[in-house]
Amino acid sequence: MKISRRNFLKGSATTLFLAGFNFPVLANTDKKKNLVVIMLRGGMDGLCAVPIIGDKNFEKRRKDLILDETIQLNSDFALHPKLKNFHDLWQNDLGAIIHATNIPYTKRSHFDGQNLMETGGHIPYSIKTGWLGRGMKLAELKGDGLALALPMPLLLRGIPSNDNFYPSKKRLPRTELLQLLKSVYADKSEHDLANMMEIIANRSMMNNGGNSMSRKNSSLAHKAGLELKKINGPRVAVFEVDGFDTHAAQGGVNGSHSDSLIEMDSIFKSLEKGLGSEIENTLVLTLTEFGRTIKQNGGRGTEHGYGSAIFMAGGLLKKSQVYTDWPGLKRKELFEGRDLNSTIDARSVYASAMSTVFDIDFKRIQKEVFWGDKLQDLSDKLFKI
Amino acid sequence: MKNFYRKVAFGLGPDEKVPSDPLEWAKDQLNEIPEFSWKGKILPEKELRNHYRDYVYGDRKVLRKKFKNDKDGYKREKNKLRHATGQKFWWNLELCIRYSEALKSETPVLAKLWYFWGNHFAISEKDFLAQYTTGAYQREIIRANMNQNFEKMAQEATIGWSMIHHLDNEQNIGPKSQEAKWAREKGKTKGVNENHARELLELHTVSPDCGYTQEDVIQMAYIMSGWRPKWGKKRLETGDVHFNPDAHEPGTKIVLGKKYKRGRKSLSVAITDLVNHPSCRKFIAMKLCRYLITDNPTEEMMEPIIKAWEKSDGFLPEVHKAAIEVAFNYSDKYNKFQNPENWLLQMSKMADVDLIPSPSFMDLYQLGNKPIKDQRALERLMDELGQHPYLAKQPNGWSDISEDWMSPELLIRRLVYAREAYYKKSGKSQTTEFYEEMIEKNYDNPSEILQIINQYKELVHKHVILFNLPETLKS
Repeated sequence: MKISRRNFLKGSATTLFLAGFNFPVLANTDKKKNLVVIMLRGGMDGLCAVPIIGDKNFEKRRKDLILDETIQLNSDFALHPKLKNFHDLWQNDLGAIIHATNIPYTKRSHFDGQNLMETGGHIPYSIKTGWLGRGMKLAELKGDGLALALPMPLLLRGIPSNDNFYPSKKRLPRTELLQLLKSVYADKSEHDLANMMEIIANRSMMNNGGNSMSRKNSSLAHKAGLELKKINGPRVAVFEVDGFDTHAAQGGVNGSHSDSLIEMDSIFKSLEKGLGSEIENTLVLTLTEFGRTIKQNGGRGTEHGYGSAIFMAGGLLKKSQVYTDWPGLKRKELFEGRDLNSTIDARSVYASAMSTVFDIDFKRIQKEVFWGDKLQDLSDKLFKI
Repeated sequence: MKNFYRKVAFGLGPDEKVPSDPLEWAKDQLNEIPEFSWKGKILPEKELRNHYRDYVYGDRKVLRKKFKNDKDGYKREKNKLRHATGQKFWWNLELCIRYSEALKSETPVLAKLWYFWGNHFAISEKDFLAQYTTGAYQREIIRANMNQNFEKMAQEATIGWSMIHHLDNEQNIGPKSQEAKWAREKGKTKGVNENHARELLELHTVSPDCGYTQEDVIQMAYIMSGWRPKWGKKRLETGDVHFNPDAHEPGTKIVLGKKYKRGRKSLSVAITDLVNHPSCRKFIAMKLCRYLITDNPTEEMMEPIIKAWEKSDGFLPEVHKAAIEVAFNYSDKYNKFQNPENWLLQMSKMADVDLIPSPSFMDLYQLGNKPIKDQRALERLMDELGQHPYLAKQPNGWSDISEDWMSPELLIRRLVYAREAYYKKSGKSQTTEFYEEMIEKNYDNPSEILQIINQYKELVHKHVILFNLPETLKS
């Protein structure tokens, strides 16, 4: 293995120095910027998605899971060969990766980990709102959230009036009936209900009387892209992808982990299609509860681990890069002797992303959304500011 | 006042008489726990847990090894294992049992409160608890204790297998315990897992209002250390819950200023103290008012419930009666936005919707087979409506705050499933007369409602509008 962990920090000293001057951030009012978060549930294997090149420690520990024909990203990292859409983005400076990162949670329970990835807290269930919801509240983005799910995800809790889209398989009643209900709600001063019925009636017209639409993430993402593109549309969207918990038959290129990665990849593509040129003003991030063990298990799967990776896409990225403070994969470099370590608190990435997209000072987000936890401002390294 | 029938139950069905004394009608339902009105098969929790065991053992210990190179083969065999253990059937059967209490029993008020308690001591979405055991837990531990003191329900729920597994208490090991020592000798660390202890304080008994500290949570976790399923090679994590002294933290613990000695008995003593703490009864009174009356209960609403608790030592029938009486007294002043499940049951009851498959039809199911579509309809419906009662996302259960149920998709579900429900009605209830009578019986402003729905000629449209009027969405 060629790289040691220090290499990556070189060259960042100057930028850190400059950042210390704290130039006032000018709110860019003439363009609407969007933030999309894709939750990857089950524990995304960062080393399956973005494998390290030529590391004997890695190859030795999971010999049956090594992928063929990976796409080389740089001298150290490759990309899962099925992530074709992401690779297209990468080639246009619209894709980047953070590696060896995770939320500060090390206990390996999906249940607790997923709670913490959404709340951004330290103690499972102690916080009842999501970091994204709190960030939106700080940015006063009421009514600007869109969940591509039926129950409102915890991640968006903390600000009211979020919209959601997860089409019913059944037909909506005719539009006149919806209008009648809307006027009854208005007469009875049920304003929240009236507002929602307005949204529903508009949808019903758009969908030609409410033909059922697909709930596939690729289809939802296209729809979300179209909505985010609108100047008065939502500014935040949240997706969910399941199935990363591959204890068995994780396999290689055609294994079960690939299936979930392909689903994630389809979101990138459809979002881009829906957004059109507005992909330039959008930032897409992934979020997972933990990575997976380096070592394969008896069922050619992997167990719950720690460090993982974050995929990022969109025109607000500074450039294509694998940004990492690589911890190494020798036994003593692993977390508890078994997992890829996390050297970047994933919340630093999310806080920096919200700072960039919502035009809010990083320190305010750090303080109000993440309780003043020690986080790094990575905005100038990762994003166009 | 007529919204009272919907507030504390699910409205009045076509065959029900209007009670001469509504309050007594409701209170009379709370003294005894009658047999289930479901006349089909009802499986004990233990038997369902055995199916769960067969599933996890078969998957983890057998299939994952056998099909390590064959993703499709693994998927295929895993599906067979699902059917061999009834994974897609049991929760549908549980929903039949659950909804029969709302729609077919003589005690719908008790049913509405059963749902409250099941959600208070919630088993949220984890592993395959919902598919196998959550329904049974709600029958055997929650409902069965609704004619007991709150303390008994709290004691049994806390050491119930579902709750212990759900909140990870099997991983709660005293850092100075024998087991932690053994782990250290092998170079491993084992320690406390606070999940269950925190929820016992925060969600189940005293609530954060009582002012406990993080140290109290840790001390409570020490008291709880060692309570876990008996591990076995084949049973894995599905053994009966017992107290294992090897995992128990030695020494005296202090929670909320009270001292507890080491050992098996300390948990039950601590629970007794928690349920008798003034914050506990206040918290439960607040939650009952929030569920039945309004998002923002007042002190005046809570007071009679707290008094009843103090007078009866937390005897649930008395607490329930007090809550129902408060709901009655405030029924003209407050309407509560109903969650999707309560809304569906109201519609089914009042409009005579054939929601529940028959016992004989459900009993046709044979283990090993995939249940047929109509045997699975209820579970899918609840998922579609956005409130599967066994799949709450968090240990704090489904929200009882209106705002959390207000989203366009959730309202769309009420529109489309009102329509679907109409077509599941018997012919005799598809008449204008039926609707007029039902509205007269269940609403305080029948002529205004009729005027609105009569803007449409077809009954199905009248039906959809009626069940989406503010008068129905809120009770």
